[in-house]
Amino acid sequence: MEGKGMVDFDAIRAEFPILDQSVYGHPLVYLDSAATAQKPQCVIDAEADFYRHDNAAVHRGAHELAARSTVAFERARASMARLVGACADEGGEEIVVTGGATAGLNLLATAFGNASLGRGGSAAARFALHPGDEIVVSKAEHHSVLLPFQELAARTGATLKWLDLDEEGRIRSDMADEVITERTRVVAVTHVANVTGAITNLAPIVRRAHAVGALVVLDACQSVPHLKVDVHALDVDFAVWSAHKMYGPTGVGFLYGRRELLEALPPANFGGSMVELAWMDRPAQYMAPPAKFEAGTQPVAQVVAAGAAAEWMMAIGMDAIATHEHEVAAELLKLGDVDGVSILGPCENRDRIGTVAFDVDGVHPHDVGQFIDAQGIAIRVGHHCAQPVHRHFGVYASNRASSGVYNSVADAQALVEAVSKVRAFFRV
Amino acid sequence: MDFGMSGDDLEQMYQEVILEASRNPHGRERFAPDLASEQSAQAGESVVRASHEYCAAGESHQFNPTCGDEATIHAEVSDGGDGRPHTIERLVWDGHGCSISQASLSIMVDLVEGKTVDEAMRLAGLFHQLMDSRGAGLSDESAEEDLGDAVVFQGVSKYPMRIKCALLGWEGMKASVAEALARMQ
Ligand SMILES: Cc1ncc(COP(=O)(O)O)c(C=O)c1O
Repeated sequence: MEGKGMVDFDAIRAEFPILDQSVYGHPLVYLDSAATAQKPQCVIDAEADFYRHDNAAVHRGAHELAARSTVAFERARASMARLVGACADEGGEEIVVTGGATAGLNLLATAFGNASLGRGGSAAARFALHPGDEIVVSKAEHHSVLLPFQELAARTGATLKWLDLDEEGRIRSDMADEVITERTRVVAVTHVANVTGAITNLAPIVRRAHAVGALVVLDACQSVPHLKVDVHALDVDFAVWSAHKMYGPTGVGFLYGRRELLEALPPANFGGSMVELAWMDRPAQYMAPPAKFEAGTQPVAQVVAAGAAAEWMMAIGMDAIATHEHEVAAELLKLGDVDGVSILGPCENRDRIGTVAFDVDGVHPHDVGQFIDAQGIAIRVGHHCAQPVHRHFGVYASNRASSGVYNSVADAQALVEAVSKVRAFFRV
Repeated sequence: MDFGMSGDDLEQMYQEVILEASRNPHGRERFAPDLASEQSAQAGESVVRASHEYCAAGESHQFNPTCGDEATIHAEVSDGGDGRPHTIERLVWDGHGCSISQASLSIMVDLVEGKTVDEAMRLAGLFHQLMDSRGAGLSDESAEEDLGDAVVFQGVSKYPMRIKCALLGWEGMKASVAEALARMQ
């Protein structure tokens, strides 16, 4: 398949065995991909085949299976690097395996904390935070960004500041010059917000951060599955995402770091497989990145399957995926035309993805979700691990529909139709 | 409306009594800080005070993080002077949440306000049993009668994700009454 030509999205949907089922007598409509995406057969097979044929410990042992496993593991890392435009060359790797985006963000916050304690020597001083320094996030952040950096601020005496949101819930990039100051050391911000679906206007934030010598950490959880992401073109310093939201397995994620930064950053986790020389009475000598950040046995089969997911996405073409989901998003946004329904996020189908959070006046999200579920449609209800953005809109929780590559315009229509019956059912 | 098989379940879960109680809940008053407001972090603690001299008050904050149901339950219990049994003289709550949690709080207030603590705890035990019944209800008919309107939550007991919503208020009642009793010591 070529990214340019016409892509048969019905055929792509058919690659997902889980979607071929009924729920409460209705064909399943899965609109919860922002929480976790379903897996195509080739990803399921990649994981199973690895266990069936190649499974062994990687980067150690000299037997045939160990060699095959190592090759498969490193090949997956290279696939992931290509997906996001990072360097995959041997010795220049910029992709670190993590346990998921949350683990990646905690790894960074811990490593910055270690640098603040003087670990990593003078090369790591650029990551160190001291009282009076500032960390900047946004009000649209997932708790997995907010909390690790809030904790880091508390541990180092730095101050946590944030970019506010506009009425549509978009991050106020226009405030970058004001909020990011000479004292700012780290800016951690989302590429696409998991509640509003808004794509962040990153350029002014990155430009300002780099002008004052701050590092930019990008939460790419909701962009990598849906958009063409090029970490070098975006000029961010670090980025994290999870495999399970990009049609890969759970339990694994990836951290991008500019090579020179990964070399200077002190490790956050310690143990086997990350050390060259270890002694009883002398400090250990750590390996080069990415191994330096990959202590302990890695989720090898899952990494291999995540690599298969990356290859599968690239074979369809990220532009084709984005264009297809843009059409689904247009249909989802018709939720805003339903009486009593308001969208939390941009209503216009521009600089946003097919993640649409909405409020049904007078009906609690949990009740909306129950009603929608009874028609075989899966959406998410609650605060989606992002309470501050809900407070911004003056609500406790919301309903959220989110598209994946397998969704059709008809799926979105089925949801809009179901939502239009909610208020009558609950007599409001 | 036709929702196929689940339509019946849906109707059974959201009985008219529940929808009505959730729209006009009993016992709801405004006294707790509003956690959805931007100023919530600065909001002061509400002061737990009993309205009658012979009563002790207790308060319990209940939160269901999966859907955000939240309620503060305030109970006032008579001191049991002159050998009279401890009685729930006043039961009010403040909060927000899904129709199941709101209706359950409302129906609970109607059921236990004015009852002795022992009787309220017995009813709480029965309600727990009902919610553990996986849709089957209670085998004991007189027990079901004692639960009054609260038996309408039988349909909810089929849905593990929603049982917590129905129990939220009852948990808060038990905890706030326990706190009030502890204050008398
Ligand atoms: C924007 C965003 N950031 C971070 C995360 C955390 O990802 P994970 O739970 O896979 O670690 C999520 C997913 O819930 C997300 O949507």
